[in-house]
Amino acid sequence: MLVRRFMATSVKPAVSKTGSTTLSDILIVGAGPAGLTLASAIKNSPVLQDLKCMLVESSRITEDMNDYYASPPKYYSNRCVSITPATIDYLKKIGTWNFIKEERIQNYDYIKTYDGLSGAAMDFDAPSMGTLIENYNLQAAAYERVLQLNEEQPENKLVIKDGNKVTHIATDSETGCPVVKLASEEKIRTRLLIGCDGGRSPVRKFAQIPSRGWAYNRWGIVGTLKYKDTGFRSPTGWQRFLPTGPLAQLPMPDDYLSIVWSVPPELAMIVSGLTDDQFVLMLNAASRLTQDELEVLYKLARDKPEQFEKEAKWRLDMFNAKLTTESEQQYPQEIESIVPKSRGRFPLKLSHADDYVDERIALVGDAAHTTHPLAGQGLNMGQADIQCLVKTLETARERGLDYGTKFALDPYFSSRYPVNNATLGVVDKIHKIYGTDFAPIVCARSLGVNILNNLPFIKDLMVGQVSHRELEKR
Amino acid sequence: MLSTKLQVISKRALHLSSKVLAAKPKDPTAINPSEASHFSDLASSWWDETGSQRILHKMNLLRMDFINKTIKTSIPLNKDITDPEKMVFIPGWSFNNLLPDDVSSAIQKEIDDSVRLNSQKLQLKCLDVGCGGGILSECLARLPMVSSVKGIDMTKNVIKVAKKHMKLDPSLENKLEYKMMSLEHIPKTEMFDVVTMMELLEHVDYPATVLKQALSHVAPGGYLFLSTINRDLISWFTTIFMGEHILNIVPVGTHTYSKYIKQSEIKGFMDQLKDKFKVVDVKGCAYFPAVGWFFTGVQNMGNYMMAIRRIK
Repeated sequence: MLVRRFMATSVKPAVSKTGSTTLSDILIVGAGPAGLTLASAIKNSPVLQDLKCMLVESSRITEDMNDYYASPPKYYSNRCVSITPATIDYLKKIGTWNFIKEERIQNYDYIKTYDGLSGAAMDFDAPSMGTLIENYNLQAAAYERVLQLNEEQPENKLVIKDGNKVTHIATDSETGCPVVKLASEEKIRTRLLIGCDGGRSPVRKFAQIPSRGWAYNRWGIVGTLKYKDTGFRSPTGWQRFLPTGPLAQLPMPDDYLSIVWSVPPELAMIVSGLTDDQFVLMLNAASRLTQDELEVLYKLARDKPEQFEKEAKWRLDMFNAKLTTESEQQYPQEIESIVPKSRGRFPLKLSHADDYVDERIALVGDAAHTTHPLAGQGLNMGQADIQCLVKTLETARERGLDYGTKFALDPYFSSRYPVNNATLGVVDKIHKIYGTDFAPIVCARSLGVNILNNLPFIKDLMVGQVSHRELEKR
Repeated sequence: MLSTKLQVISKRALHLSSKVLAAKPKDPTAINPSEASHFSDLASSWWDETGSQRILHKMNLLRMDFINKTIKTSIPLNKDITDPEKMVFIPGWSFNNLLPDDVSSAIQKEIDDSVRLNSQKLQLKCLDVGCGGGILSECLARLPMVSSVKGIDMTKNVIKVAKKHMKLDPSLENKLEYKMMSLEHIPKTEMFDVVTMMELLEHVDYPATVLKQALSHVAPGGYLFLSTINRDLISWFTTIFMGEHILNIVPVGTHTYSKYIKQSEIKGFMDQLKDKFKVVDVKGCAYFPAVGWFFTGVQNMGNYMMAIRRIK
């Protein structure tokens, strides 16, 4: 008996110490919106679904997703994204959209942008040009779709290994395939390793693919808030270009809204120090008051927070008193309150990998490129990557190629890189043009915007660009 | 110089049209020794997709498209289905442009699914003649509609490379085998559903004999796919002058102009066997740097691919 016990305990650690090597055809690292959508797209593809596919994630994603799907939280998460019609079409095509909680998303037909210095405004409208959705909603839908596909193909399930960090990646000397070691000591040898593992992608580092770019020296402050109920307004996305960075307010259902406010580090410190009520006041001020008034408020908030509230209220009251029913439409509604603990911040940077593919490696989404959130393109670029990568893998398999070779993956890179590079560049230029208070540039941009705002065909073209209508038609 | 070339050409045309073999060599299907040593030198770089063989790897994509399309479009989609609910209806007109997106994509999906399922049932037995390092053999072996591939080549070193490379993909192990042998040594009775001879006829001395031998191994209903180069000035300019000497895309000595065969010559040759074989498709193709390979729509110029089907 004693011997048996001894054997039992001594054998077990020996197994986990050496770690078994599992074989897989495709291993996806990262179960964010990109990783999970990619997984469901691969399992949904009749050409790819017989491949042995695994998904590795460091957080406990399966629990989180089950919880979210079974009983979504009362308030919206602060991690929201704006998705384009093209992205929605693709999610519909792969059967993921059926699982989206549609009561928690908001379509909007209008985007109104206005200049924080000159007030020059530009309005865009198109039916459902954008849809605001929580990251969790997207992830949970993709996860549910994977579960459904797993049920349909019980002999070939997608395996999700969550709560399991990638600790090491090496190359198998015999086959040249990457071997991924997990925190659980398990090793997985894969014929294709796909990094959906974010801006600091360990997969990209392993592949030694350089990534170029720069930090914007801005923080993106996010939060979930609620508008004052002042009668019906069509859901509208607002963006005010302040010289410190744009403040975007995007609509959620029931008068809720999600904000992304990019601010320099000093201002981020000041804003983070505010109480929830003060933060709401600051946002209302930032969407209405002039830059000079804002400077005063920032200083007050830093040096005499007790006076800030009074001053901000007084200035806003002055401003609101002057508003007519008509001019009120030029500004977003006033924000009433904030969902507790919904404030967060993250650094903004531009980065673009020199290559998205290597032998047995592919990078998708933020692992390949990160951008300023001002145009709401980041996640959509990743979704377009997925669409292209799945197509590339399908073509490679139909032609009998070894889908993990750089040769087979190259078309993915060559078709996505130029498009992504152009988007990154345009967003970067917008950031720079609006990131200045240099008078001639302010005049020029305001003149340009005033002219453009009166040329509907050019605006339609721009709307087509941000909502990827062309892509859809192709 | 020109007259000797013309002589060679006419001699070669004779080979094809008359099928008469003057001074029959020991093994007429064998590769020319100088060609053999040329390919032996290339062995080490065969699978370097970024190296001198990149153009061949790129061309292979077009070959696979050609083979896939030829076989898959010949599969009857409604065969054996009597239940009208399950029948796949393919409009005779271009439904993509006329029907609403949802409807046309649903039709396309049904067609694709049906083709996929029916093609997987084919389980084709393939022979790749002049397989080289196995670029085409491996791709054929990975197709779900293929059950086995035999790759044969006369150059020892490239067979070695091919055998080594196939080990990188475990899925090939039971489907693919390589043999160093000539076509003549394949048992007379051994039949294949697909025989491929890609970029081969321009490297052998007796193309008519090789072609006949290859055809004798095509099972009824099976296909022979070949690709080679039209003998015309355009081909000389693109494949030899530009390809080998100016742009160095392929190593010097890869091609011999006099060995090129016009597609019309092969068609003429196939005419004599028309009760047994039918040329089902010929496609001209061309390479343009920075664009890659593409089908040209002109059969008589430059490179071409041909599909021949045994009708009975």
